[in-house]
Amino acid sequence: METLYTVFVDPFVQMFEVPDFFLQVLWEGLVSGVLYALIALGFVLIFKSSRIFNFAQGIMVVFAALSLVSLHTFLVPFVGNEFVAAAIAMPLTLGIMYALAMSVERVVLRPLIGQPDIILFMATIGITMFLIGFGEFVFGGENKVMITEALGIPTGAIEFEPFGGFLLLEEKDVFAVVMAIVLVISLLVFLNKSAMGRAIRALGDDHTAALSVGISLSTIWVLVWFIAGVIALATGIVWGARAGVSFALEVIAYKALPVLMLGGLESVSGAIIGGITIGILEKVFEIYWGQPLFGGNTETWFAFIFALIVLLFRPQGLFGEKIIERV
Amino acid sequence: MTVIDPTPEEVRKRGGEREVLLDLQNISLAFGGVKAITNISFNIRKGEIRAIIGPNGAGKTSMLNVINGFYQPQEGVITFNGQKRSSMKPHLAVSQGIARTFQNVALFKGMSTLDNIMAGRATRMKRNMFWQMLYWGPAQQEEIEHRKKVEEIIDFLEIQHIRRTPVGTLPYGLQKRVELARALAMEPELLLLDEPMAGMNLEEKEDMSRFILDANDQLGTTIALIEHDMGVVMDLSDRVVVLDYGRKIADGVPEEVQSNQEVIDAYLGLSH
Repeated sequence: METLYTVFVDPFVQMFEVPDFFLQVLWEGLVSGVLYALIALGFVLIFKSSRIFNFAQGIMVVFAALSLVSLHTFLVPFVGNEFVAAAIAMPLTLGIMYALAMSVERVVLRPLIGQPDIILFMATIGITMFLIGFGEFVFGGENKVMITEALGIPTGAIEFEPFGGFLLLEEKDVFAVVMAIVLVISLLVFLNKSAMGRAIRALGDDHTAALSVGISLSTIWVLVWFIAGVIALATGIVWGARAGVSFALEVIAYKALPVLMLGGLESVSGAIIGGITIGILEKVFEIYWGQPLFGGNTETWFAFIFALIVLLFRPQGLFGEKIIERV
Repeated sequence: MTVIDPTPEEVRKRGGEREVLLDLQNISLAFGGVKAITNISFNIRKGEIRAIIGPNGAGKTSMLNVINGFYQPQEGVITFNGQKRSSMKPHLAVSQGIARTFQNVALFKGMSTLDNIMAGRATRMKRNMFWQMLYWGPAQQEEIEHRKKVEEIIDFLEIQHIRRTPVGTLPYGLQKRVELARALAMEPELLLLDEPMAGMNLEEKEDMSRFILDANDQLGTTIALIEHDMGVVMDLSDRVVVLDYGRKIADGVPEEVQSNQEVIDAYLGLSH
């Protein structure tokens, strides 16, 4: 009886009675959800245009963040100013992500054109391993601190008093959400309105047809991997600002997997909604069910179980198109 | 005795002195040990409609794939517009002015008719990637100009009513027409059509024939087409090349080819 109460009644009573805390939980969930969505977006973009499930998206986040921080540390003694160093390090890091995209296309993807999907998937695992080793070799394995202030990311907090209670939004979280929204909107506009975006969609739709209208595979692949790299950098900055920059960050990329299961591998909006849904649900579950029932730490597995349950009922994911196959 | 001037139709059929647009010399293509094309030579003249016919597996589609750079022949010389070609990629062929359609329509099924045709202008977008990414200023202006051209082609092929429809939902005949529209949007010098009328009913075939002739007449597009409907081939084409088992067995105006014994044998399946 007591358990039933803890599961079905108490959480809702608490949500209702302490609404400001509930709002706080929702906000925290939204922030991590937005970051999951960003990572998932990187996956979706590459999958849409090349049918490759890019296992390396997670390590690309780490690699981008590490490049930025290390370049900054390296540059500060030369230019003598934190902000100027950041202003130089930023485009340089973008350059590194572009170089990475080019080398991935040239060294890994191009020789593997026409190979089965699983081979390309394995190749991205190879890229992951390489980036881990190469990253540790160049940047060292120790944890670093994101250059939040030098980048001009606000670090204060905004306080509200809803329902006579208390709600605290950290400014860097607000920044993360705003940045994610801007990034997603510009990406959607780019994909749907520009000629390049149309070429990316075209390539994702039909390879042969895309080739026949003169869309160059290499150009688009480099572009797509570069955009995924930019998204990785953005994710790395905001996530690094919350949790520090280290190879452990890579783990959050695995959170993108349940997001993708929910949202479908090909849907940009699916990735966003899936990410936010998972972020909020896992936080709410952790606070109201996880801690009283399981003693906490449910955030590590909740998303996966949730995705599995959804898949039992909707194998195509929440937003994927129903696959009707003629036999 | 009265002298009758040749009608424009007849002049077109002769096609004699026109400049050679594409010249294929001794082309051979093999996949491993399987020879798809053996030592084939023929040319396509500017402004003509050139049919490539032959029984199934004769190497017709392989030939088109060689022309637009999907396949790289092991032997032979290809000259396009007076320029000898070394290695070729499909997107390079497009930028040189070669467009094509496919036997089984290859469209972007999830995209609208308009987007499909706009994609046909991919290589004509001159603004660099940076502007395109920003979708700003000059790139936007350019998009508008391309859109105008695309609307002309939509009018030309009478597909205004399906402008916004995702092509995956269109009936087959219309899909074929959209594919032709996309190829024409490339404003090609040479248009390769792989069985443009396969699976069509009589009315659709007549429409398609009309569009092909119009594209040839009004837009001045040189056309090479593969087709199995002999009536269509004989009506449309200026010259016909016949392939069988990867070899060329005949080449000439439709009447010649029609009465060629080897061609008749190939179609009736005489033993080799």
